Formats: sequence, C-alpha cells, structure tokens
Amino acid sequence: MSTMDLKNESFNLEKNEKETLLEIKNLKTYYPVKGGFFQRTIGNVKAVDDISFSIKKGETLGLVGESGCGKSTTGRTIIRLLKATAGEILFEGKDISKLSGKSLQAIRQDIQMVFQDPYASLNPIQMVGDIVAEPIKNFKSIGKKELKTEVMDLLQKVGLPEDAYYKYAHEFSGGQRQRIGIARALALRPKLIIADEPVSALDVSVQSQVLNLLKELQKEFDLTFLFIAHDLSVVKHMSDRIGVMYLGSMVEISGRKSLYDEPLHPYTKALVSAIPMPDPRRKANRIVLKGDVPSPLNPPTGCPFHPRCAVAMDECSKTKPILKEVKPGHQVACHLY
Amino acid sequence: MQISTSPQTSVQVKPMKSMSPWAIARRKFVKNKLAMISLFYLIIVAVVSFLAPYVTTIDITRINIGEMSLKPSSEHWLGTDKSGRDVFTRLLYGGRVSLLVGISCTFFVVVLGTIVGSIAGYFGGKIDNMMMRFTDFILNFPFLVFVIVLGTIFFGKLNGLAVLIIVISALSWGGVARIVRSKILAEKENEYILAAVSIGCSPIKVIGKHLIPNVLSTIIVQSTLLFASMIVAESGLSYLGFGVPSEIPSWGNMLSFAREPDVLQGKPWIWVPPALIITLTILSINFVGEGLKDAFNPRSRR
Repeated sequence: MSTMDLKNESFNLEKNEKETLLEIKNLKTYYPVKGGFFQRTIGNVKAVDDISFSIKKGETLGLVGESGCGKSTTGRTIIRLLKATAGEILFEGKDISKLSGKSLQAIRQDIQMVFQDPYASLNPIQMVGDIVAEPIKNFKSIGKKELKTEVMDLLQKVGLPEDAYYKYAHEFSGGQRQRIGIARALALRPKLIIADEPVSALDVSVQSQVLNLLKELQKEFDLTFLFIAHDLSVVKHMSDRIGVMYLGSMVEISGRKSLYDEPLHPYTKALVSAIPMPDPRRKANRIVLKGDVPSPLNPPTGCPFHPRCAVAMDECSKTKPILKEVKPGHQVACHLY
Repeated sequence: MQISTSPQTSVQVKPMKSMSPWAIARRKFVKNKLAMISLFYLIIVAVVSFLAPYVTTIDITRINIGEMSLKPSSEHWLGTDKSGRDVFTRLLYGGRVSLLVGISCTFFVVVLGTIVGSIAGYFGGKIDNMMMRFTDFILNFPFLVFVIVLGTIFFGKLNGLAVLIIVISALSWGGVARIVRSKILAEKENEYILAAVSIGCSPIKVIGKHLIPNVLSTIIVQSTLLFASMIVAESGLSYLGFGVPSEIPSWGNMLSFAREPDVLQGKPWIWVPPALIITLTILSINFVGEGLKDAFNPRSRR
C-alpha cells in the first residue's frame, strides 16, 4: 500500500467516524443438549441469551466476563462459525446471520478472527508462508510472485523476519505464532477483526508486544476490533468501549473511562474492584461475590445475577432488566437504575 | 537444523527451507535399520516380479509332461510343479499378481475408507450416523461367503482378477473408515480448522487440505498393515480356490498345490518357495509399517 492510499484512508476514517459497522440485535445462540434414547433435544445451553450492541467503524469494543459467560460464543456467532439461534447481526446494515453458501463466503473477506490458542490455531504441516497466503488464494486469483510479495509484506508488518515464510509453526514461540495468526487475519484486509482472547495464552511480557502490534495495525489498516478477553487491564489498554457479560447477557456497556471509574452494575463493581493495583499503600476494597456462576442450562429467572447480588430486590428475581442508557454512552441492565 | 529468527542471520543464511514434519519423519525412518532392510527386500521383490519377462524367458503356461515334478536343478532353479512348469518362473509371475492384487485392493480400500470416514467425521450429526451405520452393515458381511457369492455372480462377465480386487475392496473399507473418522473427530476440534473455515475454505477444502494431511500419517501406517492383510486375503482365497483364477499364477495359487498330500510330504520345492516368500513379504511390510509408525510419532526418538 502506498503512502497516498494511506493518506486517503485516514481521510476517509475521519469522515466516517460515526458510522456503525456492526450492530447486534437480540442475538441468541443456544447449544442444544441431546439426551434420551433417540438423542432428542432435551434442553438448551443458553450461551448467548438476547444481547444487543453495536460497534462503530474504527473503534475497539472490549468484551469481558468470566469463563463460560458467552464471550467467545458471541464472537464465533458474529463470524458465523456458529449459527445464531435468533436475532440479527447487521454488518454494514446487512443482516448476515442467515447467509449461507456464496454470500456467506463473501462476508468472510470482511470479518476475520484472531484465535485464542496460538499453538492450536496454526496448521502444523503448512509452511508459514502458505498459512498466510491461504486466505488470499481463497478469494483472489493473483500470480505466484505477487502473492509471495504480499505475504512477505504481511509478515514484515506483523514483525516477523522474512525467512519465517519457509518455516513451520512449531519453530516459533507463542508470541510469534500469534503474530502469524494476526498476519493470516489481516491478509484479506478485513474491516472487522474479532480477537478472541488473543493474548491470554501468552507470557505477560509478550502480551504487551502483541497488544501494541494490534493497536498499530488498527491505525494502519483502519480496523475495527471486537476484543474478547477476561483480563480487565488488557481490555482497558485496548478498548474504546467495554461490554460486560454475565451468563449470556450483557449487563453493562460503556466508554472505557466511565466503566472503570464509575461502574454501575453490581457485577461490574465486583470485577473492577478485583483488578490488582501496583500500589502497596492503596487499600484494597474488594467486593467478593458469593456463590458460583449458575448453570447456563438452567439460568435463574429474572436478572441472571440476582442470586449473587448483594443489593438484590424482590423485582430482580421476577423480571429480567433490559439494557438502558443511564448516562450518555453508559448503558446498564439493572433494576437499581 | 538451524533456526535463525533474527534479521541479522537471515541476511547471511539464504532463506533455506526448514524441515517439514514429513522430512523429520523421513529422517527417522531412514535411521530404522529393520524397516530399511524390509523396504529394500520389498523393492527387490517388486522389481524382480514386475520385470519377470526380462528375468526369465521360460513360458509359464506351457505344460511339459516330460518335466513333471522335477527336483531343483541348474536348469530349473526351484524345480518344476506337477504340470512340469518352472517353479521359479511361476514365483516371479505369481509375485506380480499377488502384489498387484495387494496394491490395488489397498488403494481402493484406503481411498474409499478415507472418503467415507472423513466426511462422516467432519460433518457429524445425521450424515455421520447414516454413513457409519452403512459402514457397520458392510463390516458385518461374512467376508468369505460374500467373496464366493459375488465371485460367482461376476464370473465370466469380468476379468477374474478384476472381480477379486473389486470384491475384496468393496468388503474391506469399513475398518479404515472407522479409524479415519475417529482421527478426524479428534483433529477437527483444533482451532486451525475453525481458522480454515473463517478464512473462507469450503468444506471440501477444509477436509482435503487441512484435515486429511494431518491424519495422513495414521492412514499411511494403516495402509501398510492393510497391504499385508490384503496379500494374505489373496493367498488364502486362492488357496481355497476362490481367489485368482487357477490359470493365472499367484503365490496363493502356487500354495494350493500343497492341498495334495504327496506334494505336502514329498515335494517341498513346490510349496515351500511361495510359502516362504509370502511370509517374508508380510513380515517386511509389517516392519515397514512399524517403522513408519515410529517415524510419525513425535514422541519416539530413535
């Protein structure tokens, strides 16, 4: 890409700053539970149960929550690795939740994913060059030489040496492998990248390198991120806005600053209070939640958080609170507000 | 192996191809003496058999009443059989047929089993259920009865050898299908398969380019062992008289002379050579198979 193009793109970025790229409406993804003699569906694990949010072009939405709350399922449903049970996924205004065949393949050019486990997400018998070239080969018919130049370019952009092209994934460290995964996701120049806990399998020292790389690439390629993580400090570093999920529901969405400074939902308050502070004089004022996460197979009635909530009221066990805007740009699903 | 990740060294070292998992397996295999000797033996047997017309010029079909049941001599290295045919020559031509049946049966069985197993394993659900129940059905056929029945049905309509190959292949792919399916089931849980889907690979491409190459080591090991059992199947059927038509020499057909008590007791030169060569061949194939298994196993360092 020449500097001219880059200038043009950053110009476009300013122009389209407010444009919504992805909008999720009432998304539900259930996993059927089979049982009995005839393997009938006897229940559903409600991994994602009626969530809505949107991502604007060029921004990073962080998605946090404890394991099993449906973050990864949300990501995988958006990229259509899983089929949504109900709801709409509007990408650039078009519902992609029901696409199949050719039109589904076409949308894959615009949405790409960086996977969690850099050891399992790369084919062990492909050369790195082939791994990165494969998405391009799937969609464009370009000559061998051009393809190689483009792949070399991508490898260099994610900070890998040129001779990585001829190596195999097992010859690299976790951080480098994740860079290969990022190069593969970038190869099609997507508009949206879903990063599913991209650094949780890496050393802390390598984590920051990969995070900074993602930030640099976001600027360079005008990328939009859905950044899934369970590490609150990582999400804080990366995101413009943050959504907090609990048991398949979105409990709070807000800008980064307002979420960390004034969390509204009792669950978010507990999460934020658990972030370790590198300051020994600061008094830890931790809110410790009682009990365990209920099973998503049989979620509690009303607010999913009410059995563990310190300030639960009668109403909380009866009706499920809906996400409403309490302050400008700060939405919360709680009966307190 | 040199690993150069820093940019400085990459300037000096021209981007060299590093070892693929295949190359590592090949190196391990070459170091395995027993497997290499076996492979060498198999290659010699195969080459000599397939070049039989150039090795000997004796006519294998001509019956020579004057030279019946001769002991090994300088003229007939392994003697002659009860119809006066040269045993050594028949051993070479027989090797051709036996190996051909073995190789083609193995090929068809592996291809069929891999296709069925990988589709069932990848798609799962109803497709898996249907395909695997059909596989169970095939596996439950009584092999010997069906070979005899199908052989009789096709007899005369097709070349006898082709019938045998088709019948054996059609009844034997079930085991391979099951093994491939179980391997694919385990392999498809890896994230790189999700990644392949997300970068726009079609199901055929995901199976063909990502799944099968990663389970290929198992398939290769299986097919060597299968090759041995296919040669045994051919010999066994021919010994019973239901295999290769009796006018075509094969190791099994030659062995079937041992059904006669006087040959078994008094004329060992007629049946010992095919018996010996069958045993050695199967043993070698199994050693090669074991060698491949070790070579593909990342935990074995020999």
